[in-house]
Amino acid sequence: MSRPVRIAVDIGGTFTDLQILDARTGAVVAWKTPTTPEDPSIGLLTGVKEAALRFGFTLADVGLLLHGTTIATNAVLERKLARGVLLTTAGFEDVLEITRHFRRDVYGLAPDPFPVLVPRDRRLGVAERMRADGSVETALDEAALAGLLARLDATQAEAVAIALLHAYANPAHEVALKAWLARERPGLPVSISSEISPEIREYERSSTTVLNALLVPVVKAYLEKLEARLGEGGFAPLVFLVQSNGGVCSLRTAAEQPARLLLSGPSGGALAAGRIAELLGKPNLVAVDMGGTSYDVSVVQENRVGVVTQGEIDRLPVRLPMVEMRTIGAGGGSIGSVDAGGRLTVGPRSAGARPGPVAYARGGTEPTVTDANLALGRLDPDYFLGGAMKLDMPGTRAAIAAKVGAPLGLSTEAAALGIITVVNANLGAAVRLSLFEKGLDPRDFALLSFGGAGGLHATDVATEMGINEVVFPREPGTLSAYGILFSDLVQDLARSRLLRADAAALPAIGAVVAELRAEADARLAADGVAADAREILVAADMRYHGQAFELLIPWGDVGTPDAAMLAALKQRFHAMHKQRFSYDSPAEAVEIVTLRVTAIGRLPKPEAAEAVPAARPALKGSRRVWEEHAWRDIPVWDREALPPEDIITGPALVEEPFATHYISRGWTATLGAAGALIARRTA
Amino acid sequence: MALGPIEIEVIRNALTAAAAEMDVTVWRTSRSTIVRELLDYSTAVFDAAGNNVAQSARIPGHLNSMSHFLREILDKYIDPDTWGPDDVVISNDPYCGGQHLPDITAFKPVFVDGRRIAFVGTLCHHIDVGGLAAGSYAAKAIEIFQEGLRIPPVKLIENGKRNEGIWAMIRQNIRKPDLLLGDLTSQIASLDVGAAALHRLAARYGADGMMEASARILDMSEAAMRAAIGAMPDGTYEFTDFLDDDGIDIGKPIRLHVSLKVHGEEITVDLSGCSAQVTGPTNATLASSNSAVMFAIMCASMSGNSGDEAFLANAGCYRPIHTVAPVGSVVNAQFPAPVVHRVAVTHRLLNAMFGALHQVVPERIPAAYYGNSYVTTFQTVAANNSREVLVEIEIGGSGAHPAKDGVNAYASGMHNNSNIPIEMIESQMPLTITRYELLRDSGGAGMRRGGLGLAREWRVDSASCLFTANMDRFVHAPYGLAGGGPASLGKLIHVQGGVEHDLPPKSDNVVLKQGDRVRLETSGGGGFGPPTRRDRALLAQDVALGYISAEDAKAHYA
Repeated sequence: MSRPVRIAVDIGGTFTDLQILDARTGAVVAWKTPTTPEDPSIGLLTGVKEAALRFGFTLADVGLLLHGTTIATNAVLERKLARGVLLTTAGFEDVLEITRHFRRDVYGLAPDPFPVLVPRDRRLGVAERMRADGSVETALDEAALAGLLARLDATQAEAVAIALLHAYANPAHEVALKAWLARERPGLPVSISSEISPEIREYERSSTTVLNALLVPVVKAYLEKLEARLGEGGFAPLVFLVQSNGGVCSLRTAAEQPARLLLSGPSGGALAAGRIAELLGKPNLVAVDMGGTSYDVSVVQENRVGVVTQGEIDRLPVRLPMVEMRTIGAGGGSIGSVDAGGRLTVGPRSAGARPGPVAYARGGTEPTVTDANLALGRLDPDYFLGGAMKLDMPGTRAAIAAKVGAPLGLSTEAAALGIITVVNANLGAAVRLSLFEKGLDPRDFALLSFGGAGGLHATDVATEMGINEVVFPREPGTLSAYGILFSDLVQDLARSRLLRADAAALPAIGAVVAELRAEADARLAADGVAADAREILVAADMRYHGQAFELLIPWGDVGTPDAAMLAALKQRFHAMHKQRFSYDSPAEAVEIVTLRVTAIGRLPKPEAAEAVPAARPALKGSRRVWEEHAWRDIPVWDREALPPEDIITGPALVEEPFATHYISRGWTATLGAAGALIARRTA
Repeated sequence: MALGPIEIEVIRNALTAAAAEMDVTVWRTSRSTIVRELLDYSTAVFDAAGNNVAQSARIPGHLNSMSHFLREILDKYIDPDTWGPDDVVISNDPYCGGQHLPDITAFKPVFVDGRRIAFVGTLCHHIDVGGLAAGSYAAKAIEIFQEGLRIPPVKLIENGKRNEGIWAMIRQNIRKPDLLLGDLTSQIASLDVGAAALHRLAARYGADGMMEASARILDMSEAAMRAAIGAMPDGTYEFTDFLDDDGIDIGKPIRLHVSLKVHGEEITVDLSGCSAQVTGPTNATLASSNSAVMFAIMCASMSGNSGDEAFLANAGCYRPIHTVAPVGSVVNAQFPAPVVHRVAVTHRLLNAMFGALHQVVPERIPAAYYGNSYVTTFQTVAANNSREVLVEIEIGGSGAHPAKDGVNAYASGMHNNSNIPIEMIESQMPLTITRYELLRDSGGAGMRRGGLGLAREWRVDSASCLFTANMDRFVHAPYGLAGGGPASLGKLIHVQGGVEHDLPPKSDNVVLKQGDRVRLETSGGGGFGPPTRRDRALLAQDVALGYISAEDAKAHYA
């Protein structure tokens, strides 16, 4: 077996997480190493080398590197972006700044503008105009572009975005401008909206194209550093990057379309949730990822997390497919406080990583959710991060007593439990709403709990929701990397074209589908995917005439659509409309707004073996925990040593190096498939 | 059962979640784009006496108005003893406690162990309720009968059964019955979802617990509001602003005068200096005016909070605030005055309220925003007489704040809605947008510059087109504060065969021809502080970005 090792790397703000699968044994192992923010590829390679030593493989054994990175996301959030220029249709230079108007903070009197990444003096109008049907109203006059070039040069731009009206319907002018710039200013990177996000709605398309253009130089520089490290010590794997859509892409795609990496953070977790659903035979899961500052909820149905066609970063829309997720500002670092009216609130203010919870003794003075867990005995002050960090119990209890207990007239224990109760209610409301808005019933779902802080809250949140089963996957802190390990190449292509979904439009629909399929196939071939590993799926954004929003309707592996296939697609639209919105109108005209193709290049999936329990006692001992109005000794279990036959009866704690799980009274837990701990409600 | 602060917060969160579930239900099951795209609806949970405890709302005009309506209904129209758990009461009548006819509000009580513990309510702006003009927004109405169907508080559902006579009566009197009745059905579904959520809670905390929690949640908000007002300096503060006219008596300004008295932990807002009610539809009932008064004070109070979580908005916040509005004035219009354009009155009343509050908490209050909902309607008529309708609501700039510049083209004040993508409009009807841009020199000059207004220009591509507009601030500009300059005035221009002429800002059914263009220029926001004190580097940047012309920089900032 040549190059049998596959590695998934998820680079976070603090740690670089690795998951390693060795196809020779099927063993899946995890490793963690500090992130090196100045050049994340250094930490990546360090992690790989450490793991090679620890787990006994050589760098030359690594055949595949699947890379999740927040480099694009961080560049936007920290504004470490290229200096860009935006070319628009003349008269529409300000679309990027006018935005879509709707404000989120209803009461605010000192609003911040929506971020404008290319200021007004670098937004240049071009005399040209397309119509909605793709016909030309005003032709582009290349002879008149000399003046534009002078203005462009004066801006000292490092990157150019081009977003012209109706370019999704006819890209000719964008393509011509790009070619002209390639001739006149070779080497200047150019992103055009008809390639980056060819969808109707000018603001969203412009925003996406601008983000892409400004990221090209940033991501390219990183990928060059990364490539320079490939080859060291025989380390020469194929490299793929994780995208927002829950799949990976080649280095070439990432360099040209870095906006596709922007919202990739949740992809790993979504992939993992889907895989776990499949391994456990539980196709319906609510996956919750609780970290230091946020709680991310996604819904798995039929083993898959849904994809939506738009996301956002820093209030800017990104019109590209991403995995669907609801995020609320509640995590281990959320601060509990009492306001002037005597109301106890928890979050959304967070102590973050600095100063962090009081327990970290790094200067934090306001009690957090993590502090409350410590004060109640649910966290072990001597076994945090596997004992790597000692927690300050006296300081934590004093802060809770002073900031929450005293103002409310509660004991320290009651105040700490209050913080937990309030945050659990917030978490439960987020889970309930995620299901409710899809018309789903919590009782049909199991809760999948991961993230560093999730395990301490999961059984209580489930009880609150009427959910009777909680799944704690192995190594919940590196689950995202685990998901990436089993990813596929996924390329999304789209083309907006407003069409009536009836027989007369079949030639036009067929032409767009054929064009998208051909491009998808060519892209998979260029990424080296063999013909038998390719899969192409077609979908359409559809609506009733007069509606202002669309539903994404899967159409399957449609080649040349005929009347029967179109009728089936419309049927599916009516049915989906009825499910989501409780009614349908079969007599009304149906429109197709955008056609989509998802091209999947299946990567081989080696079998993973079940982990073997560590050879030490599973029952570590017991700890004093505040439970049911008293301090009680409750058992503490060692997750890594737990054999399948042991039954954990709550109240109990289950510890592993990077997470602690609390099994509440009325729940029992046993080991299930794929090393997952499964808790069930018994009372 | 004595509840601790933990239980109170958990119940409070659950009540807010119940309003959110009701909100999702309306969104999921309603028919019209006005609900789904403009999000012109709200949901709320009330205590047993009709006080708003929790709500889900994005539109300031809705925030503080449903509770008033419900209490009016309980006081005057529906005997609470005859209002059972399976009865849904609806009304849209401004003269029974509502705002204007397109907003139909539905309420349902929630009973536990035979006791009423709460109400749930939903408000939706409906696409048409009959009357003079499609959309029920007649600019030239002079009495409410021309504005559409008035529904007094009636039981649409009684003992769980549809009151078919009422449904038929509504169906017969409106232009788009399937859409309206579909949206009304979704309002009822939303009430059921809210009631179910309250029953879940009551199963845990009991009827007594729920009653106690509601009372304490209101008390906590009242305490927070009193603390905020108590920190404001006592005194009486006055301010006056004007609407241009009512569209009927052209050029006759409508005066909005506020005398705001801070006394201890309470505020009394005396509106006795406002104009008498007018002939045209630019009138507001007390429900509308109160929502502007409450909204202004809550904005001013919350922006003083240093925390990230503003205190909870509910009826407890209203207790220390009193409004005096003379019967028959433009802010307390009486039957049968038309009221459909009440948003204009509330925009200007809000401007006047902020002008007074600036004197109370000068560090928190921005100069005037554009103060206007720029509503335009295009009905294109093709050669074969087929028609398409476009309704757009545009915005202007926000006012400069003591600590920062106003925001260019920012949805401010009483309304909050999205614009419509140009590419969507052009894909669906014979109109072309020929420009959409920020308007140079439209922001008020100042140490902090007002946000810019914008220009949008439409071209008619069909054989003809009927055009309607309803807007203001073409005579009375958005004011500056503390020495800051006023913002620009609005403009509406008809371009025909290369010739430009002004259109009246309140126009009904202007006939446009193919190739004609209409250009709208909206007001910016007022400036704050003397322009001479503006940082010269910022001024140079404004000129470089084209926010200010070199001439204006010289004229206003030298």
